[in-house]
Amino acid sequence: MALETSPAESRRVRKQKAKPSSLGIGRRHNLLAYGMLAPALIGLSIFVIWPLIRAIYLCFYEWNFYKSNRFVGWRNFTNVLKDDEFWNSVIRGFRFTCMVVPVMLIIAFIFGALARSVGAKLSGFLKAIIYIPTVISGVVASLVFQMIYQYPGGIANWLVGVFGVEAQGWLADTKLALAALTLPTIWVGIGLTALIMLSAMNDVPESYYEAAKLDGAGWFRQQRYITLPQMKNIFLYLVVTGFTANMQALEIPMVMTDGGPAKSTLVPNLYIFQHFRFDATKGFSMAAAFILFLVMGGISILIFRLLQSEKAVDV
Amino acid sequence: MAQSLRGTTGKGPRVWGLVAFKLLLVAGFVVATVFPLLWMAVCGLKEKNEVTRTPFKFFPEVFKWENYKQILDDPAFIRSIGITFTVAILFALGSLVVNSMAAYVFARLEFIFKRVAWVVVIGTMFIPWMTILLTSFLVVSELHLVNKIWVLILPAMASAGQIFFIRQFYLGIPSSLEEAALIDGASRFQVFLRIFVPMSKGIFVVSGMSVFLAGWNTYVWAVITMSDPKMYVIQQYLTQFRGERTTELGLLMAAATLSVIPVLILYFIFQRQIVQGARLSGFK
Repeated sequence: MALETSPAESRRVRKQKAKPSSLGIGRRHNLLAYGMLAPALIGLSIFVIWPLIRAIYLCFYEWNFYKSNRFVGWRNFTNVLKDDEFWNSVIRGFRFTCMVVPVMLIIAFIFGALARSVGAKLSGFLKAIIYIPTVISGVVASLVFQMIYQYPGGIANWLVGVFGVEAQGWLADTKLALAALTLPTIWVGIGLTALIMLSAMNDVPESYYEAAKLDGAGWFRQQRYITLPQMKNIFLYLVVTGFTANMQALEIPMVMTDGGPAKSTLVPNLYIFQHFRFDATKGFSMAAAFILFLVMGGISILIFRLLQSEKAVDV
Repeated sequence: MAQSLRGTTGKGPRVWGLVAFKLLLVAGFVVATVFPLLWMAVCGLKEKNEVTRTPFKFFPEVFKWENYKQILDDPAFIRSIGITFTVAILFALGSLVVNSMAAYVFARLEFIFKRVAWVVVIGTMFIPWMTILLTSFLVVSELHLVNKIWVLILPAMASAGQIFFIRQFYLGIPSSLEEAALIDGASRFQVFLRIFVPMSKGIFVVSGMSVFLAGWNTYVWAVITMSDPKMYVIQQYLTQFRGERTTELGLLMAAATLSVIPVLILYFIFQRQIVQGARLSGFK
């Protein structure tokens, strides 16, 4: 979901505001506006802003649901920072993301190129097909892929058996489990990424390709010199959103492996969630959530800088 | 089919090779997306030991429809489906009312502290839900909402994402349409009800569907707030089933299959709008 107003749009808004009108378009409608906003503002205040304020406050306390709170300063934060398990989970989440996002982008790119090169009917069919897994819940996806990974009778083992590889305990092997979780994650997540990629590809002016064709550029060179540079911003967007979404993966790891075996799939949010559920006092898990937020924000900015700086063509 | 596959690419001897390659890719995408679901449905027809038997066979030896019948006869399943359906419907309708009003206000009205209100609303999108999960639970338990369906409906009903999405659409409606109505003396609220709402059919389908799906698929929040087994939503029913009857894989797959049928039906009815909306919600 786009988070910022695009420049074109804010320009449009400003234009609307500036337009003088006899109908009082610039006039203020305080009562009506706040009346109609009330349900949304109240909802967000009670269920988002108020919990956020309390979370910031309670991070500095040792507390649980039954006992009165005790102020402990930054201790919850230092405890998290000192906990190797936390950093291990962050690194694990980062590894998971690095496995998921590139594969997803490549598949989405192939999908986009394919959907563009076929007729309208088939392209419509492809778009409908690719989005199907997106409507399926993380729980169901987890259950199905658990079946697929069954040892020894699952499809995954049958498939690798065709290539002469012996059966693996995909979800029971500490070396394989995290990688095995990427498949359901990509399966559920590919729909949106692919459709965004496709619409971005459609936005590249057709005349560029025609000019390239006249110059004798083949498909690969067209992608290399036109599509990729033109879609720089979309890639940046998909990398950053893909990164933040997958760093926060919870449902699939929780249902498929619950962090196991031997914590090999204990991703950051699952680590926080387990602390939240099983710790006697709750300040630690909230401090961990805030630290994760900062780490993620930092890495997002870093990705942004890295990808933005090697800009070859101005978009 | 071949005509369609060839699309706009040129002619020549290489064309058929290209067509074959594209056909292969299309088949790959179809298999990768649909196969897991098909597999789930087929496993739902199998004897419990047959599901994991080696060597692997796609079709069951005997089609065991009893699995599906048995799940449909389970009162806990029906209850979970009922609860989940109620939650998802109310969640979607409530979200449409609340967020479309807010979207209209931000798209069309001028009022005091508009910028502040906008920044606050949009700012809520950036808060990772994990940071407020615990205190949200505190809030809903203080409001005595735990183990009531409202706990799955009210907290996420007002949504900055949905407000933003619907507002984008409202900004695109030409203001000439409402000016005529304003000249005729309609109030701003009437403009919303008589002009904006009727024009919003498409966007309401997209927004409503995504909220409905979120409601239907909700799991982690339900695990925390619906601790009473009588109030389990369908996703909880599935994981509980797996936990308690570990060997009944055929039955589990039958239950999972039944749980996705409603959303698949809805998806195919509104497929065109949803796909369109998914692309809009992405970047623009």
